[in-house]
Amino acid sequence: MAGAKNHDYHILAPDIWPVMGALSALIFTTGMVFYMHQDTMNGWQVILPLGIAGLIATFWGWFSKVVNEAQRGDHTPVVQLHMRYGMILFILSEVMFFVGWFWAFFDFALFPAPLELISEGTWQNIIGQDGAASVAVFPAEGIHVIDAYDLPLINTMILLCSGTTVTWAHHSLINGDREGLKQGLWATIALGVLFTSIQIFEYAHAPFGFGGVNYTSAFYMATGFHGFHVLVGTIFLIVCLRRAYLGHFTPRQHFGFEAAAWYWHFVDVVWLFLFIAVYVWGGWGAEVH
Amino acid sequence: MATTADTFQAHDDAHHEHDADHKPGFFARWFMSTNHKDIGTLYLIFAIIAGVVGGTISGIMRWELAEPGIQVLNMVAPWLGADPAQIDQTLHLWNVFITAHGLIMVFFMVMPAMIGGFGNWFVPIMIGAPDMAFPRMNNVSFWLTVAGFFSLLFSMFVPGGIANGAGTGWTVYAPLSTSGSVGPAVDFAIFSLHLAGAGSILGATNFITTIFNMRAPGMTLHKMPLFVWSVLVTAFLLLLALPVLAAAITMLITDRNFGTTFFDPAGGGDPVLYQHLFWFFGHPEVYIMILPGFGMISQIVATFSRKPVFGYLGMAYAMVAIGVVGFIVWAHHMYTVGLDVNTKMYFTAATMVIAVPTGVKIFSWIATMWGGSIEFKSPMVWAMGFIFLFTVGGVTGVVLANGGIDDNLHDTYYVVAHFHYVLSMGAVFSLFAGFYYWFPKMSGRWHSELLAHIHFWVFFIGVNMVFFPMHFLGVQGMPRRYPDYAEAFSFWNEVSSIGYIITAVSVLIFFANLVYAFTVGKKAAANYWGPGATTLEWTLSSPPPFHQFETLPVIEDHHDYHDHLPREGDAKPVTA
Amino acid sequence: MPIAAAYRDIRVLMIGLIALLGLAFAAQGLSAAAPTAAMPTTGAEADAAAAGDASGDAAGAGEGEAAYEHLGPEWIKGQPTSFEEDPWKSMTFQDQYTDDGQYALGMNMYILTPVIVLISAFVFFLLLVVVVRYRRREGREPSRTTHNTLVEVIWTIVPVLILIAIAVPSITLLARQYKTAPEDAITIKATGYQWYWGYTYADNGGFEVISNMMPLEEAEANGLPGHLAVDNRMVVPVGVPLRIQTIGADVIHSFAVPSLWFKLDAIPGRLNERVLTINEPGIYYGQCSELCGARHAYMPIAIEAVPMDKWRQWVLSKGGSFGEDAEVDEDANVQAPASAMEGAPAAGDGLTAADDGNAPSTPVDTGVAEEATAAE
Ligand code: HEA
Ligand code: HEA
Ligand code: CUA
Ligand SMILES: [Cu+2]
Repeated sequence: MAGAKNHDYHILAPDIWPVMGALSALIFTTGMVFYMHQDTMNGWQVILPLGIAGLIATFWGWFSKVVNEAQRGDHTPVVQLHMRYGMILFILSEVMFFVGWFWAFFDFALFPAPLELISEGTWQNIIGQDGAASVAVFPAEGIHVIDAYDLPLINTMILLCSGTTVTWAHHSLINGDREGLKQGLWATIALGVLFTSIQIFEYAHAPFGFGGVNYTSAFYMATGFHGFHVLVGTIFLIVCLRRAYLGHFTPRQHFGFEAAAWYWHFVDVVWLFLFIAVYVWGGWGAEVH
Repeated sequence: MATTADTFQAHDDAHHEHDADHKPGFFARWFMSTNHKDIGTLYLIFAIIAGVVGGTISGIMRWELAEPGIQVLNMVAPWLGADPAQIDQTLHLWNVFITAHGLIMVFFMVMPAMIGGFGNWFVPIMIGAPDMAFPRMNNVSFWLTVAGFFSLLFSMFVPGGIANGAGTGWTVYAPLSTSGSVGPAVDFAIFSLHLAGAGSILGATNFITTIFNMRAPGMTLHKMPLFVWSVLVTAFLLLLALPVLAAAITMLITDRNFGTTFFDPAGGGDPVLYQHLFWFFGHPEVYIMILPGFGMISQIVATFSRKPVFGYLGMAYAMVAIGVVGFIVWAHHMYTVGLDVNTKMYFTAATMVIAVPTGVKIFSWIATMWGGSIEFKSPMVWAMGFIFLFTVGGVTGVVLANGGIDDNLHDTYYVVAHFHYVLSMGAVFSLFAGFYYWFPKMSGRWHSELLAHIHFWVFFIGVNMVFFPMHFLGVQGMPRRYPDYAEAFSFWNEVSSIGYIITAVSVLIFFANLVYAFTVGKKAAANYWGPGATTLEWTLSSPPPFHQFETLPVIEDHHDYHDHLPREGDAKPVTA
Repeated sequence: MPIAAAYRDIRVLMIGLIALLGLAFAAQGLSAAAPTAAMPTTGAEADAAAAGDASGDAAGAGEGEAAYEHLGPEWIKGQPTSFEEDPWKSMTFQDQYTDDGQYALGMNMYILTPVIVLISAFVFFLLLVVVVRYRRREGREPSRTTHNTLVEVIWTIVPVLILIAIAVPSITLLARQYKTAPEDAITIKATGYQWYWGYTYADNGGFEVISNMMPLEEAEANGLPGHLAVDNRMVVPVGVPLRIQTIGADVIHSFAVPSLWFKLDAIPGRLNERVLTINEPGIYYGQCSELCGARHAYMPIAIEAVPMDKWRQWVLSKGGSFGEDAEVDEDANVQAPASAMEGAPAAGDGLTAADDGNAPSTPVDTGVAEEATAAE
């Protein structure tokens, strides 16, 4: 019986990337600690880039292998099904990650702390003192919010649009139209980059700083993590574009592309929630910048 | 399922696969592994090491608590670079120890052993699969866990406020963990959770995918062994709970280092928010630590009673119910933070609900034994111990579930007693049960049954002596996380500390047994437990071939879930 | 086989041991009955006794306040009991001195303890039966029964019923504990600092009493329990509703007194509130019950409950006031931590600074004592 394999699962040869990846992650987090404590610890300039380089190398090396294996035909239908499940579950866990950030945001918004404005950009918590109730508003008095119907609305449109262009690319792929695939991807990537650029512009011109008060903390961390996901999604799409040029993907087998598209839609949906909850509802009643 | 080998394109290193038992060289085998059994072995070795570290730390803790006053901490303070003359530095060390003990036992002993170790070893085999769905990702899960462990170790040797190490408790409550602990130690500890958590999330996707997609032909969900069910539910809990923890501890990092105010009231933040986020993870986490144990106990009880599991579907869906309800009871850890009365009433009621499906499990195990022909081999003895001691721990949980009662018991040793009964007895008993059940299968060699029984009784006496008196200390009002206490608490603390010595001796017996097995242990047959053992691992040699099920087993329709053995002639035990 | 035989003996031994454990467990609930009943229950009697004793006799650990003598060690009521003193009592809840505490104790004694002991014993009994009846014997064929709808329904329904039986008094207890304080309740705010307590008497001029653990030798010299005794107790009137507020100045602490069935976390940025009515004069000890750093184990709580007129004396001796003029006396919080902390463990290890907006603000009017983020 030995050797008579009758299944088409993917049995892999030993591989160095997992241990490299974990080691890089440890170096990266250690580098972060060194960076955050640079007044007492020296050397983050070496450790942190080393960790990041290791992580990039790992992703590069690992995913290159996966792509090669796919091209070689290792990804039998059942293995592709694995990947679908894996991707869906990964996105599910990402959803729960954002639940954490939204939880913080709604906690602050629904149970506002009594923050009294002392001077521009500084507040004092007057819990238990006279007048506490009157300053318990969210966002805290003195915060000027970003106009939801300005750049954020434009960004919403951009992302929605990019959702359609990625579908365009997908349909082209399914119909064997490689040019359409490339065009759709180009358009999606361009929209992604545009979104990120506008987001950076918005951050740079925001009427409030990063830390110091609950509104800004929740705002920047939630939208920031979303922005990071846009970045990752864009890179994912760029990889797909490159693979499209290399002639990868067939109308029947193109899970790499589909995963990128799913991820992109997920990022899109998170944005819709951010837009409605943080920008529109969260800024309600506050002074608009 | 038709043979699909013709559509399968072997890749370049395909010659590996032509010999089911061809093993890679040492480095490639243990550092680059893509083999679920080897990764399982790595996890088990790692868990045992972590168990020894965590157990040793608890020994220092019990030694200190043997009598009132500070006698031991000042002796060990220099190890971690604290100045014993500075009383605060010495006291800080206590908090470092309990934090390390809690985190190590939870994240680096129980979870790796149950899910990483036994889950990796037996889930693929029990469903008739050749490996996990993502063999390479499987390996990164393991090494991320190791990386997390190292990050936690680093944290003990760098400043964490008053002295070295993170002294926040395993719950890492803000603002003690933010403004209350300057220095890199807490950051290292937090990143330790990030790393281990990432590993667990990847592991969870791997298990779910494997269980959904790689069941052998005929192995329907309702025929799966209960251990596989338990890992499936556990994996979902991990997948949905851990990311919330990740968000919470990321907020800790930014509050500590980048000026956000999630938990800093000066900026409108809310320390209680952290607790909500933590326990939204933390309560599912406690079921993550016990469900695989439930699964193992089900296998063992059925095997040694020579009976199919009683109420199989009820058993499976009880675990699903425990998992689901586990997500909506978290605030029972927060009864004293100032919740309003309706919230407390809700969480009181919801928490008690979990006793029902858990009771279904307890009674079904007993019903499985009822009418059986029970053989009291070592795994069975541990399983019986589990059922009783877990019940004791469970019912004290029901006491704590009452918001009004918990007002007195919260953060006392009663809670410590409760969770050690379900963990240091429940989870650990199931680990040892599973270990003795499968050790000959995994290693191919027999442990000594006599030593295993002695190990059981000594451990049983030891842990009961350690933890039962803690109920008394708790109701008398001794708060937890105290290195020093009022004279009145001395007696029961001393009893507890003596109990620790007995426990430690039993762990030594365990290691003696391992040495015995690897030196003079007899060779184990394929199905060494006899006809009661019906799951697929017993069709394989002990140890199983490096790659099992190159020809998938077929579970035919008339085989119900009580009997997973392939029929005569379907597949012979593989001995290659 | 001698080993097997010896082993069977051990098993019998173990069964005995486990039974003992169960008994001890049971003791937790049952033995609480006797001592509680023996306690003086009529408040008036006790009040008189307290007044007579404390004002007539000048003994006790007096700190030298003009017109007020602190209760002496003989008034200690709420504290743990050692095994040597009384083995049974050392395994149970402390005696309770509030109505809610008595109710909770009763619930524990008559419902929870019997239920959990019986369930544990029942499971143990079933395991025993199984061990005895179904051990492997030559020629016994195991049954193949895997379903029995009736027993499955029973073991689902019966626990549900038991849980309902627990839930009803449990919910009642919660409702009792959350009765809102009457308008005229006396407000005392307990602020947790690293690592001591401050008690602010908001209705009485807002002075703050700083309470540190008494050094062990001093406690011993005064006949007070080490680790529990403090330099300045939180003095309160007996028999009237107290509005206890808690807040944390730096990290989270928890204000807990086991014999009053009271525990409320002291969280920065959050003013928690709960009513407390103490039935008898006496001294009640508690300890900080939320991990708050190095000296978490060394910030005990001591409540001294005395009759109203005695309490008024004490307030006056602290420079406090009563009634309408209370609010005016804004300067009364002169006893700021710094001055009152002499002899206290250095509170300045770099972690104590309550320099942000949530530093304790002393003059709290009873009216604004709402909890800001109650409904989470
Ligand atoms: C394996 C881990 C595990 C498990 C399984 C459980 C199970 C349960 N736990 Fe426990 N718990 C912990 C680990 C665990 N816990 C930990 C680690 C902590 C402390 C964390 C910290 O603060 O550091 C904790 C703390 C904790 C608290 C908070 C206490 C406090 O801090 O004040 C509460 C309160 O409700 C609680 C309740 C319960 C309940 C109701 C169950 C139930 O699931 C138990 C159900 C089981 C049974 C009831 C027994 C079997 C049933 C029958 C025989 C049927 C008949 C029974 C009845 C009718 C009652 N637990
Ligand atoms: C699974 C979890 C687990 C386990 C097993 C233990 C085991 C033990 N714990 Fe644990 N403990 C915790 C989880 C655990 N603990 C947690 C979460 C806390 C709270 C921390 C906090 O407050 O933040 C705590 C706190 C805690 C305290 C309270 C500290 C305080 O509040 O100040 C004490 C005090 O005595 C204590 C003692 C012990 C002792 C004596 C053991 C002994 O039983 C130890 C004996 C050793 C073993 C049982 C290990 C044997 C196992 C192996 C060698 C591995 C085997 C592996 C395979 C078979 C694969 N622990
Ligand atoms: Cu203050 Cu613990
Ligand atoms: Cu819980």
